[in-house]
Amino acid sequence: MTQLHPFTLLAIAGALPALAWILPSPAGGLSTAAVALGLAIAARSFRTAVFTAAPFWLFLLLLHDVPTTIAIGLRLTTMVASFVWVVAALPAPRLVEAMVAAGWSASVAYVFAATLSAAPVLRARARRIADAQRCRGLSPRGGLAQRLRALRALALPLILSALHEVDERALALETRRLVPGARRTPLSPPSDPPGQRIARWGLVAACAAALAWRLK
Amino acid sequence: MPIRLLVLIPVAAAISLALSAAVDAVALPLFLDTTGTILATALGGPVVGIATGVVTSAVNSLRNPTFWPFVTVQIIVALYAWIAARAGLFRSFKTAVPAGFGLGVIAALTSTPISYLVFGCTTTGGIALTTALGKALGLPPLGACFFGSFVADFGDKAVTFALVTSVLHGLPRRTAARFPWALRAIGAA
Amino acid sequence: MTRLAFEHVTFRYPATEAPALEDVSLEVMGGEVVALVGSVGAGASTLLLVAGDLAPRVVGGRIEGHVTFEGPGPRGIVLPTPWTQLSGMAFTVWDEVAFGPANLGLPRDEIVRRVDHAVARLGLEDLGSRDPTTLSGGELQRVIVAGILAMRPTLLLLDEPTAELDSVGARSLWELVRMLASEGTAIIVATSELDALPAVADRVVWLERGRVAATGPAALLASDVLVVANLGTTVAAVWRAAGLPSPYPLTVAQAAQRWERR
Repeated sequence: MTQLHPFTLLAIAGALPALAWILPSPAGGLSTAAVALGLAIAARSFRTAVFTAAPFWLFLLLLHDVPTTIAIGLRLTTMVASFVWVVAALPAPRLVEAMVAAGWSASVAYVFAATLSAAPVLRARARRIADAQRCRGLSPRGGLAQRLRALRALALPLILSALHEVDERALALETRRLVPGARRTPLSPPSDPPGQRIARWGLVAACAAALAWRLK
Repeated sequence: MPIRLLVLIPVAAAISLALSAAVDAVALPLFLDTTGTILATALGGPVVGIATGVVTSAVNSLRNPTFWPFVTVQIIVALYAWIAARAGLFRSFKTAVPAGFGLGVIAALTSTPISYLVFGCTTTGGIALTTALGKALGLPPLGACFFGSFVADFGDKAVTFALVTSVLHGLPRRTAARFPWALRAIGAA
Repeated sequence: MTRLAFEHVTFRYPATEAPALEDVSLEVMGGEVVALVGSVGAGASTLLLVAGDLAPRVVGGRIEGHVTFEGPGPRGIVLPTPWTQLSGMAFTVWDEVAFGPANLGLPRDEIVRRVDHAVARLGLEDLGSRDPTTLSGGELQRVIVAGILAMRPTLLLLDEPTAELDSVGARSLWELVRMLASEGTAIIVATSELDALPAVADRVVWLERGRVAATGPAALLASDVLVVANLGTTVAAVWRAAGLPSPYPLTVAQAAQRWERR
């Protein structure tokens, strides 16, 4: 499964929820949910899928009657399980390499990859700032105004320091010749046999056909 | 797009993603997940803002798939922020906070159909419960759903706009001068 | 032959009236190591940015005078804070070093050759598959330098390259600088590690408030005027502080010699 081309994995992860919505409930939703959960089991992320999807069932029961709950619940389960599966089965570097190899502009691959690496760094910094401010007396108690001021004391240094780095990062990328719109040499392009490419388009066609049939 | 604006996108998206840690520390019921999008728009214009919104949604979806259908909301937020920046509404809290409330309404209006059609109004526990409350108060289903989204969005967007205003005013002149829209957004251009 | 020339260059950052560089003239040829010394904010970093074609092109601002660069290969700059120089697109050290060459569109086997060579030069073989965000400051600094070297620059600009390194790492880096110079690379390094310079620098340029205050061979670091400005080698400063007569010794070896002869 991890040998499949990243775009194939994404196509499957996109087609399953699409079909869950297009096909009539409950048979449609049930079959797609079953496939999605099966994939999640194969990727050893079944528990994550179930725990993420479970609260929705609870709240749906609170708001809707049983048939609606089942219909929406199955669709959401399909979506959740598909996403959880693709995140477990597709490491980000492989996806970035696939984008580069497919000739996507360096900028798009960069923006996606850089966010993935920057987010944990900024999150860790946010926690450090929170710790530092806690030493200075910041506490989650107090009135709304006090908490908003505390939020400002946390968020402002985080954001300003991140923005200050934008210039340095731009300089570093420039010197290493990242040109928006230019094509990079892919370092380890995932293999993309024609069978998979046909299968991807087949999935798109199947969804379109299902939609056309449904709208008739 | 100049490299500096390209670099701004992941940094701004990461800001949105990281602020959840800050919010937890002060125990406020906010998301602040559009902070980066609004900031990026105010600094670099609508294209940068929309790209930031899309990337924020994509990366957020990796941890929680339910974020992805709301990418439309991020795009609308970027467009609204662009209009606000052009009008220099970030020049003070007096103009920014009402603009934020306005965005709260629009964001709720945009997310309600998504919440209703995709999630049956159960996007989060909070929204589900406030929707139930709305139904109990006699609101029609779509109205109750809007009520749920609205309560979540209203304060969140106003606080976000106030925060972005603080940031823009806190930027050193030399840095602000390097971003095409920054000075205009605070009414200094 | 690589050549970089500044002719009466004045540079101002955006929205700033005071020039960061004022009437700077300078020439560096391939094979030379030129060291920039000065107090913080004196303009060394700015000079490197201008030399690297990053100012005003990327940074903004206004420039007067001429900057000429002739060279068979690119210019590369290593900035002081390593973590902001990570590409953000590489998930292993090897890929990080390969980032520059890949952007140049080189064929894959050429990239592999260059990266392996750069990795070996900086002693990074063991770190090849590590995630760059898990590295220490010193390791990261070496990865960044390797990434620039993999692009085979003929003009190498270094801004405080040993800031994150321990003494062993710093010594290796200075040896690498000398080796690169002997291979024909033109090198300009801004550093506050003055004691390393006598063995490394062919020329020293003293920058003060954006102007070239003095320029000369490494022995300049033992001159009265620099030692008084706190920009001399430690040995020279100690010699002077002890009330001993000038000329001050440049290195510990020189000091030992002179002490013997007293």
